[in-house]
Parts: sequence; structure tokens; C-alpha cells
Amino acid sequence: MPPTGLEPCKMNRKKGDKGFESPRPYKLTHQVVCINNINFQRKSVVGFVELTIFPTVANLNRIKLNSKQCRIYRVRINDLEAAFIYNDPTLEVCHSESKQRNLNYFSNAYAAAVSAVDPDAGNGELCIKVPSELWRHVDELKVLKIHINFSLDQPKGGLHFVVPSVEGSMAERGAHVFSCGYQNSTRFWFPCVDSYSELCTWKLEFTVDAAMVAVSNGDLVETVYTHDMRKKTFHYMLTIPTAASNISLAIGPFEILVDPYMHEVTHFCLPQLLPLLKHTTSYLHEVFEFYEEILTCRYPYSCFKTVFIDEAYVEVAAYASMSIFSTNLLHSAMIIDETPLTRRCLAQSLAQQFFGCFISRMSWSDEWVLKGISGYIYGLWMKKTFGVNEYRHWIKEELDKIVAYELKTGGVLLHPIFGGGKEKDNPASHLHFSIKHPHTLSWEYYTMFQCKAHLVMRLIENRISMEFMLQVFNKLLSLASTASSQKFQSHMWSQMLVSTYGFLKSISNVSGKDIQPLIKQWVDQSGVVKFYGSFAFNRKRNVLELEIKQDYTSPGTQKYVGPLKVTVQELDGSFNHTLQIEENSLKHDIPCHSKSRRNKKKKIPLMNGEEVDMDLSAMDADSPLLWIRIDPDMSVLRKVEFEQADFMWQYQLRYERDVVAQQESILALEKFPTPASRLALTDTLEHEHCFYRVRMAACFCLAKIANSMVSTWTGPPAMKSLFTRMFCCKTCPNIVKTNNFMSFQSYFLQKTMPVAMALLRDVHNLCPKEVLTFILDLIKYNDNRKNKFSDNYYRAEMIDALANSVTPAVSVNNEVRTLDNLNPDVRLILEEITRFLNMEKLLPSYRHTITVSCLKAIRVLQKNGHVPSDPALFKSYAEYGHFVDIRIAALEAVVDYTKVDRSYEELQWLLNMIQTDPVPYVRHKILNMLTKNPPFTKNLESPLCNEALVDQLWKLMNSGTSHDWRLRCGAVDLYFTLFGLSRPSCLPLPELGLVLNLKEKKAVLNPTIIPETAAGNQEAASNPSSHAQLGGFQNPFSCSQEEEEIDMDTVHDSQAFISHHLNMLERPSTPGLSKYRPASSRSSLIPQHSSGSDGTPPTKPPWTVELARKGAGKEQSPLEMSVPAVPAAPLSLFAKEAAASKHGEHRRRHEHKKKKKKHRHKHRHRHRHDARERERDREPFAFSSPASGRSARSPSLSD
Amino acid sequence: MADTAASASGSGTRSGSKHSTNPADNYHLARRRTLQVVVSSLLTEAGFESAEKASVETLTEMLQSCFNVDTLPAYAKRSQRMVITAPPVTNQPVTPKALTAGQNRPHPPHIPSHFPEFPDPHTYIKTPTYREPVSDYQVLREKAASQRRDVERALTRFMAKTGETQSLFKDDVSTFPLIAARPFTIPYLTALLPSELEMQQMEETDSLEQDEQMDTENLALHVSTDDSGAEKENASVLQQNPALPGSRNGEESVIDNPYLRPVKKPKIRRK
Repeated sequence: MPPTGLEPCKMNRKKGDKGFESPRPYKLTHQVVCINNINFQRKSVVGFVELTIFPTVANLNRIKLNSKQCRIYRVRINDLEAAFIYNDPTLEVCHSESKQRNLNYFSNAYAAAVSAVDPDAGNGELCIKVPSELWRHVDELKVLKIHINFSLDQPKGGLHFVVPSVEGSMAERGAHVFSCGYQNSTRFWFPCVDSYSELCTWKLEFTVDAAMVAVSNGDLVETVYTHDMRKKTFHYMLTIPTAASNISLAIGPFEILVDPYMHEVTHFCLPQLLPLLKHTTSYLHEVFEFYEEILTCRYPYSCFKTVFIDEAYVEVAAYASMSIFSTNLLHSAMIIDETPLTRRCLAQSLAQQFFGCFISRMSWSDEWVLKGISGYIYGLWMKKTFGVNEYRHWIKEELDKIVAYELKTGGVLLHPIFGGGKEKDNPASHLHFSIKHPHTLSWEYYTMFQCKAHLVMRLIENRISMEFMLQVFNKLLSLASTASSQKFQSHMWSQMLVSTYGFLKSISNVSGKDIQPLIKQWVDQSGVVKFYGSFAFNRKRNVLELEIKQDYTSPGTQKYVGPLKVTVQELDGSFNHTLQIEENSLKHDIPCHSKSRRNKKKKIPLMNGEEVDMDLSAMDADSPLLWIRIDPDMSVLRKVEFEQADFMWQYQLRYERDVVAQQESILALEKFPTPASRLALTDTLEHEHCFYRVRMAACFCLAKIANSMVSTWTGPPAMKSLFTRMFCCKTCPNIVKTNNFMSFQSYFLQKTMPVAMALLRDVHNLCPKEVLTFILDLIKYNDNRKNKFSDNYYRAEMIDALANSVTPAVSVNNEVRTLDNLNPDVRLILEEITRFLNMEKLLPSYRHTITVSCLKAIRVLQKNGHVPSDPALFKSYAEYGHFVDIRIAALEAVVDYTKVDRSYEELQWLLNMIQTDPVPYVRHKILNMLTKNPPFTKNLESPLCNEALVDQLWKLMNSGTSHDWRLRCGAVDLYFTLFGLSRPSCLPLPELGLVLNLKEKKAVLNPTIIPETAAGNQEAASNPSSHAQLGGFQNPFSCSQEEEEIDMDTVHDSQAFISHHLNMLERPSTPGLSKYRPASSRSSLIPQHSSGSDGTPPTKPPWTVELARKGAGKEQSPLEMSVPAVPAAPLSLFAKEAAASKHGEHRRRHEHKKKKKKHRHKHRHRHRHDARERERDREPFAFSSPASGRSARSPSLSD
Repeated sequence: MADTAASASGSGTRSGSKHSTNPADNYHLARRRTLQVVVSSLLTEAGFESAEKASVETLTEMLQSCFNVDTLPAYAKRSQRMVITAPPVTNQPVTPKALTAGQNRPHPPHIPSHFPEFPDPHTYIKTPTYREPVSDYQVLREKAASQRRDVERALTRFMAKTGETQSLFKDDVSTFPLIAARPFTIPYLTALLPSELEMQQMEETDSLEQDEQMDTENLALHVSTDDSGAEKENASVLQQNPALPGSRNGEESVIDNPYLRPVKKPKIRRK
């Protein structure tokens, strides 16, 4: 459903107009992070942080910070002990007694939990009470220094320790640790304001073993030995205001390489890899030069560091002035395939240094601007480095990806707006997760989000020209660099935050163009356009009658209205026409320039001015049309299905110079298996000036049409003679030349052709013997001795080719597969695989590409029934300690086995690995592969689908993955794939058959009982957002009389409700929300306080304990300390203090000024708050609640 | 003229034979005798008919002490030189004529004819031989391929036999023995670092390329055995020379990078 909410986005823009309004009641100016002990053996970290903040409201008495996993020993504010509470609802999203097991419910609750600690909503896990001695100080808005001692023990996320188990000291073992995570995850390793919008300067200190190096953000000021000379302390200063989320750390026995071209750039790698590091980074300075030139702006930080580490969370992670890369990107000069990939990673990370690290974002909904700009300038770098063909090919690839994803899932929204009270317009109702927070997003969605963002930037460029585009970027950067040099307290720092509004305003200022329609189409709403085109040529009128239809009703589509470029290649030349796509006009008449009678000798002019000779005999004699292209510049995010005759596609393939057009025609020719298509493809394949990727695509297409033409095919198998001519010896055509990969184009072609050839099938649907022999000969005669480059990728592809040649075994009455009845061809294949796999043990190839291919091939043989299906081999290769590529390949085979053989045991083995594997990337990948290749889906009956599995997965996403956002979202994806949105069908009916629907105020049959199809409607009505279930409480300040009459006790079972209200209640203390209410109603901002003054009995809050203890050395954790607080008497947090304080009186005075009616109103609200507060207070710790048989575990205790 | 020389040489021989006891003395005596012959012949050339023994001795001493080798060849080729008669030859060595290749080279004019002849040409000249390129190539490739395959097969089988294995078939563990997968403690090292063999190969191909650039004759030879060599194209985009401009290397020591700075000693804590 495309959202109709135009209003809220305008509202939001207006909000942006006023500049940045912090959602927090204070401003952070400086933070010190000091980690004085790192123990690799125990994987623990001890340190402190000190935050310097300035209150921005007078009555600030609670400060909320983000912190996860950390054990907090002591908090002091201006040297005074401060009480604090640590509450993290994301640890356990729904309480264990909940039998709902319904993903809708979970997603809502999860979104609410994330909201409840979201720094951008002014929340946090750690709530610190300002000591009463400082209240006066705070009222004067004077500086507060918050000092927090913390430690971290065996962190599961945020910081990753790699400690190889060999002999020797930690440095000798190559042990290292680095920060990692998805989006803002810094709270996992030190307490901070984990938001991209809270900038401050930094002082970072790390004391590490003398043999280690600590790499962090900013300038290394000095390195000092400790007194015992066994350790040294690295002192870093980061004077450019930076968000905590962009702070990072890597510690290890790194080898140091100062970049020979730029001395302020330093590279780090693990021991022994220095030669690879030298080669890999030798190119980086060119990327620097490129970006600095196009942005006409120097790299903003005074230094840059690259660190290559093992067991990376992601291949590339950019942080302020440093990037963390996977060590697997390192390569020597002999490796061809990895080189461009690694360079792309380097360039990507550098683009993010400018946009993402230096320039940060105001809020999550502005993320698309940063991802868009960094992706866009990265694209410009690609264009310059790899050429226009590669660039256009990449754009086409990205476009296809996003189109496929949006059509599959129903849309990616770049700029989600969440207007207050307009939750019904939830733009993401088609998704099984909330898009309100980065932490609730499916990883795949986020990847696609980034893809769409840079494509949209390209559309903007098309609209306003690249020159203006770069001017806008330059403007953003120069504003930010001016701001960054300012002292704190000036509000300049917010210039370093980009917002959608600010970005669009810059565009209109610079270009003077109105791009509002474009933004509305691609940014404010989701979906892509689906065109269907066909044409007829009207000979009498000499007019091309083009019909363009759109599908805008399917999920993930939207209607396109506006200009659309159509290019028509006629005999007399190529002509562009801009059609106006309107509501109801489907047909467009395009006058033709040429007469159909053609002059035989005349050359045909092409779009690029070139004139070529063509054999026009294939053409329709009556028509002057050679080919037609719709939207050739890809200036709409669309999918085009265009119908034109086969000869037109063939002309397009042969003569159109745009690689995208060539690829499109190759795709279309699959449907025309004719000798003419064959010839066109063969010619393309042979044509050396043709882009190599097009030639590679032609190989696969040729294989497909050869298979379709199998009965009429003449001559040797497709591509064989071609390959022989290109790569074999002239005198002995069965022997391939010794390898020489100096020409990369032919190298890639040489690699690909056998793989495509192996897909050929004869009339019996078997791979022709001739082809198999040919491939085996290629392997046999492969000789790399005189080659400058490694042939490991080539050999790996030869194994892939062997695997491609395998066809299903002819099985006689289901006999058991043994060696005796092995097909002789398969025997030959197996022989090769065995030898290759064994040789890998003795002479391993780069990144073990050959092992990877062998494992894949073995799985193919198993699946086709030649070899007994058995996961044991793969399981041994999947173990920790193998190279990650091997592990992933092996795990993929196990996942496939689990699906094909419906093995419960293997599924359990995989699930166990998801929970216990030391490498976060592998855990993530298993979930990802299970989701892509699920053992069963929601519509299929499967013996694997049982209650225990549901419980297991539920537990996994509910509490088992709380340390890793990406993993949790992956678990949600899997749960969705397996069971869908509603209650899994394999579960028994819940005990409670009736539920109260609060919104409609009536009891209905529990929707979870209704089978899925019926529940569909229900979902549509109630699911739009997390808050639908709690609809009545959406906006506590505008609710009606009736809602107040609802008995609060009926909603006892909803953790989501509570978390949500936790959120709602916390909000009032943030000034950011004041726009929802009249400015004068200040008292309502802090209901807890006023409730005290209004005479509600002051009682000690049950869920808090005075944590401030003298003597911070207490071993007990704050979490444990909070346990004894059982008394169930409800009241708000600091009511007592508030009542006694001047703050309370202050507020009361204000209240008198208000109108009576209003006052009463407020009063009632407050009453409701209290009720809710009570409810909330009781929930997490109410061990004796009669309505719930909940265990005594509180959410904050579950970890 | 000849007499004096003969007598002079004769006396030298005599005096030498008196007390020739060890090889070193022998050598010195022989050398001295030869010098005396030379001095005598020089004197004869200069027109003296006879000379006193003492003066010959003195001249010999002089020649012995200031003998300039560099000027010798020119001197040897002077026009009016005198040829010294051959010493009596006792046993003329019989040269076996079994191996004959090419023509024996005559002595250059300045070398007396009684000197030994040059060795037979087969002992020192290159013998260019030509393989049949076409059919041979195929055989060679075939041979190289099967040889490598056999070696690999034998090696992996041996490794499989001596260590743990895995099998794809439950009923048969010997036909396709797979060396068991063994996890590494540091898996990225083996995966990323080129093996020694590859390093060696890389050096070889590098030196090969240099050879090819320097020696064009050699290149032709390569092409005859390896026709792919002819298709070598020039450096491509991805490949780039990481070599630095020479001046940079000199600056290396001046680089001010905070990670290269020495670690400071701890300060006394300030209170």
C-alpha cells in the first residue's frame, strides 16, 4: 500500500526548517574514554568514561545514556555519587510466559523496546539521577561531568576478540580485538549517547600490552609506557566533533605501514601480512586524490588509518578517521579477481569518511542522504577507475536488484516519516519488521536501502546536472568544516548534521531547480515502476504507435507520471523522444524520420555519431525501425518489459553501443532460440571490442538457446570451436595454451566459457560427452608455470564447470548409491575433485577458492544422486578454524541438505551454531542462508515444523540475540520465512480464546486462533504499526474521555504496551516533544514530579533502588543490586524528591496560570499516567501478579 | 748470433740442473732460463754478437724486476721479431680424431707454430640443434601434464594413506580418499599468503620477463616453444608499479608519523 501521507512529510520539513532540535535535554560537548585494562585471556575490558554535558532545560534531574553489556560500578556527577538504573527492554523483548508466538506481536514489541532506549527519542538504557545537591547548579545550566566506571566481560557484541589458541604471548599469537556492529552500536562497549546526532570532541586512552598497538579515532598525541614498562598507553585526541556511533577501536600486534605517498595515512595489518598490505594499499592515494578533486575539499581529518583484522563483522566499516577492513581483502600482486573488489571496498570506505563519519545525520530518516551521497561519489570513482561501461553495468545491476527486491517484498522507503498520531499511515505495513529504527531492519532491507539511496542520488544528478550536485556536496562539506573548527556551545555543530530538508534546500539554492516531484516519487514513497511496452508501425502514417502500460497495483509498485525518454533507432539515425506519461494515456504516436525503402549502400548513423554498415536483410521490409529502447538512461527506477521482434533484439545486440542495451537484448534473446540469435551471440562473443561482461553474459545465453535448439543444432557444441580458436594451440587444438592472464578481458572470458558450456545438454538432457572431455582436458593441460598471475580462480571455475555438467543420476528402483554403480563420467569428475581437494591441503590456493568450489561440486553430486547424501564432510569443513569462505560454502551445503533431506538433526546443529559460533559474520550468514533456502516455508507442511522449533526460534530472537542487532533481525527474517506473520500453524490453540480489543472496545476471538488467511484482514487492520494494539494510547494528550474508562488491568500481558509507555512517559522530559503540546503546559512534561505535588501518595518506586553507594569498589553488579526491590506499591520514580524540591514548586506556580479547564484535563491525564506508571512499574518485577505465571526473571536480569 | 743465444741458454740450463731439488726452485730456474733466452735474443736483435755472462745476468735481473705485461701483446707483434727455435720435443701427443666438428683453427701469426694446436672445435663451440617444434610440443605438453598429474596423485594418495581421511562413500574409503579437513589456528595466513612455490614462480616469471625485454633473440626461442608468449599484451590498468619515485626513499627517515615516534617514558604523576 503506497502511503498517502503527504501532510506529515511537509510537517517534518517545517520542523527541519528551524534547524536541529536535540531530542535530549542536554548537550554533550566532550567525552573521555579510558580503557586501562584489556585482558585477552579473559576477554574483558575495564575503564571509565567521562561525559561533559550542559543541561539545556532547567529542571534536568535525570540523564539518560546508552549502555549495553557493560557492568557499571559507579557513577559520579561532578564528583558526587549519583544513583542510576539500568534497564534494557531489548534484552528480552516479550516475556517468556507469552504464548503468542506471533511475529506481528513480536515486531511491535521489539520496535517499542528499541524506541524505549533510542537516544533519538531522548531515551537510554542507563538512567542517572542528578544528585539533589546539584539541582541548583543544573538550574543555572552549568556544566556537569559524568564519570562512569565500567567493565565489560566476554562481550558478545560491539567488541570482538580474536584469540587464536596457540602457544606464546598474546602478541605472538596474533590476538586482537576490535569494535564492530551494525549502525549505532557503540553502547555495547562503553556508556555514551549512542546517536549519530550528538556530536562532541573526544579524548581516547587505551593502555595495552607493550607489544600491541591501539588504533583509534583522531590524532595519536603520544604513547607512554606505564611505570612497570610492560604496557603502554595510547593517547588519542579527536578535535572534530564526532558522534559516539563513529568511535572505534582496534588493538592487536599490528604491523605498521606508513603510506609512502601520504605520510599522514597509516595502514595496519596482522603479523606476517605486511607484503600483502603494501600491495593492497598502494593504490589508496589515488582514491584520495579523486575524492578531494571532485569534492574540491580536503579530506576532513588530519590523519587516516586503515586496519585489516580477522573475523570481521563486515568487510568494510568506516569510522571517524579510520576504517576497519576484513583481513581477507588483502592480496598479492598475483591475484586478479580480488584486486578490483578490494579497491572498491577501499573507495567505499573513503567515501563514507566524508559522508557518514565527518558529516553525520540528524535522524534515522535522514540516513538515505548520507548513504546516497557516499554511494553516489563512490559510483563516480567507479566510472573514472573502471570506465563508463563498468559503471553503467553496475548501475543496471543495482537497479535490477532494487527492483527485484521491492517487487518481492513490497517496497523500500528512503525517508520514512512518523508523524505523531498518524500511525495508520505506517509506510511499512507490508513488512514484517518496523522501519522506524535502524535496529529493527532486516539486513537485506538495509542493503537494498543503501542501493536505492545512491540510485536516487543519480536521478537527482540527472535532473540538476553533476556540476550542481558536486557544488551541493561541497557546500555541505564546507559548512561542516567551518562548524567543526568552532568551539563547543556554539550551535554551529549542528551544521555537521545533514537532514533531508537541509539537503533539499541546498539543492534548490544551488541549482534553482524544483526537484520536489522527484523526491516525492522516490524518497517519500516506496515502490518502483513496472512498464510493459509494445509497439506497432503504421506504415501509412509512417508513425510508430507505442503502447506503454504500467502495473501499479502489485506490491512494491507505484504509478509513474512524468516524462519518459524513448530512443528509436531508425534507418536514418537514432532519435530520442520524450513522452509524457499521464494517467490514462497508454498510446503514444511517434513520427518516424525514415522511409522504409532503404538505400542499400548507405551507412546507418548510430546514437554516438558512428556510422556503420549493417546487413539489413533480416529487417521487416515495411518498417524503418531497427530497435526501440524505453528509458535508456535509467532515469526512472523501473523494470521494463518490452516486446519487439527477435531481429530487432539482434540488431540491438550487434550495433547498439550502450552495454546496458546489449545486456537487455541478450536477456531477451533467450526467448528466441533461432540460428540468427545464435549468430548474433557468437559474433558478440568473438568481438574483442565488446565489453567483457557482455561477452560473458552472451556465453550463458548461448548455452540456453543451444539447449532450446538441441534438435536442430548443427556443428560442434556451442562455444567449443570459439574457445579453441581463442585459447588453444593452433597446432593441437585439444591442448589449451599455457596460461597467460595479461589481458584481463580474455582471462575473464576464458574462465567463463567452460562454465557456460557445461550447461549444454543433449537430446537426452545430458551434458554432451564431448563437452565433458573438453573440460577435463582443460584441467589436464592447465599449465601456469609461465604465468605472472595465480590461476586459482580459473581452476576453481573449472571445477564449477564440472559441477555444472552433472545431471541427475538415473536411479534404478531407489538403490543405495555405492561406488560400484557410479556413472563413469561422474567417476572422472570425482577423480578431479578428489585430487584438487587433496592438493589444496598441500598447496593451498588464495582464499581457498578451489576448496570452496570442490565442496560445492560435491554437494551437487550428492543432490543429483551420484554420491550418497551426507552432511558429515561439510560439517567438518564448517568448523571454526577453517577459512571463512570454506566455512560458508560448507554451511551452505548443510543448509541445503537440511532442506532436501528434511533433517531435524542438521537443523538443530545449525541453530546451535547460530548461538555459539565465535564469529559473528558466520552466525549472521547461517541465518541468512536458512532464510534464503529455508527447510520449509509457512505454506508447506513439514515434519520439521513443530512446537519445539517455534519455541527455539522465538527464544533466539526474543532474547538469544540481544547482543547483535543484525543477528536478531536475521532471526526475525527466518521466523517470518518459516512461520509467517501470525501464530505458527503447528502450535496448539492458546488457552485464552477471547481477547479484549481495546481499540474497538469489545471482546473478540483471539486473532491468533484464526487461521492465517482469515487473519490477514485482521492484520491489515491492526498491524500497521506496533501501536495498533494499543491504539487508544497512541497519543495520551489527545485521547478521548472513553478511553480513560478502560480498566488498565486488562492489558497486563503486553510487554509491548509497557515498553511503549515507558517510551511515552519518558518523552515528556524531553523538550523535543513540546511541539505536540501547548508550550505553557510545562507541568505535564514531567508528570511524575507533579504527581507528587498533587498529592498522590509518595511511595518508593518498586523497581529502583538507591544505587548510589559509598565505595564504588563493590563487586556486585548494578543489575543484581536492583533485585531485592520487590514491594509492589506503585509510584513514580523520583516523586519523593520532586515533591520536596524547589522544582516542584516552580512547576506549580506555572500551573496556576493555566486555564481551569485545561488544568482539569491535565490532571486527568496525569491520573492516567500514574495508572500506567503503576502498571509499568509492576510489570517487569511483579513476581506475584495473578494474571501472569511469569518467571521471576526480569528483563534486565536475563543476560 | 744464434750461438750466443744457444750458449747463453745452454749455460742457464746447466746452472739450473745443478741443484734442482724442489718444484718451486725448478719453476724459478725455468723462468730465469727462459728470461735469459729472451734477453739473449733481444740482444741479438739489437745487433750484439756476443755478450758477457755478467751483463746478460744484469739485463735478466732488470727484465725480471720491471716487466710490464700490458705492453707485451703489441711488442709481441712487432715486425722484425726474432723467432726462437723450438725446444727439443720429446713426445708429440697423439690427438684422437674420433670427434671432428668444424675446422681446426690455425694459430694466429704471433704464436709460434711449435706451440700446441688449439683443441678440437667440438670441445669449445656451441652446437646449435633444432627440435621439431610442432609434434614435439604436443608430446611435451602431454608429458608434462600427465607427469604432473601422476606426481600429484601419488603425493595426495600417500598423504591420504598416512593420515586421516574422509570418504564420500560409506562402503569404500580407498577409491576417492579425501585428506581429512583440519582446522588451522590462524586460518587466514594459509589462505592469503602465497605459497613458497608461487613466490618462486613469481620470481621466475619476473626474471623471465626481464630476459625477454633485454634479449630479443631469446624471445624468439621462447616463442617457438610457447606460442602464448606471442600474445602477451602490455601492462593493463589494474597492474601498477608500486615502485616509488627515488626521492621518496631518501625521505623515509624524515617521515613524521605518530606511530613511528618512540614511546615516551612515564612521567612522574602530577597531583
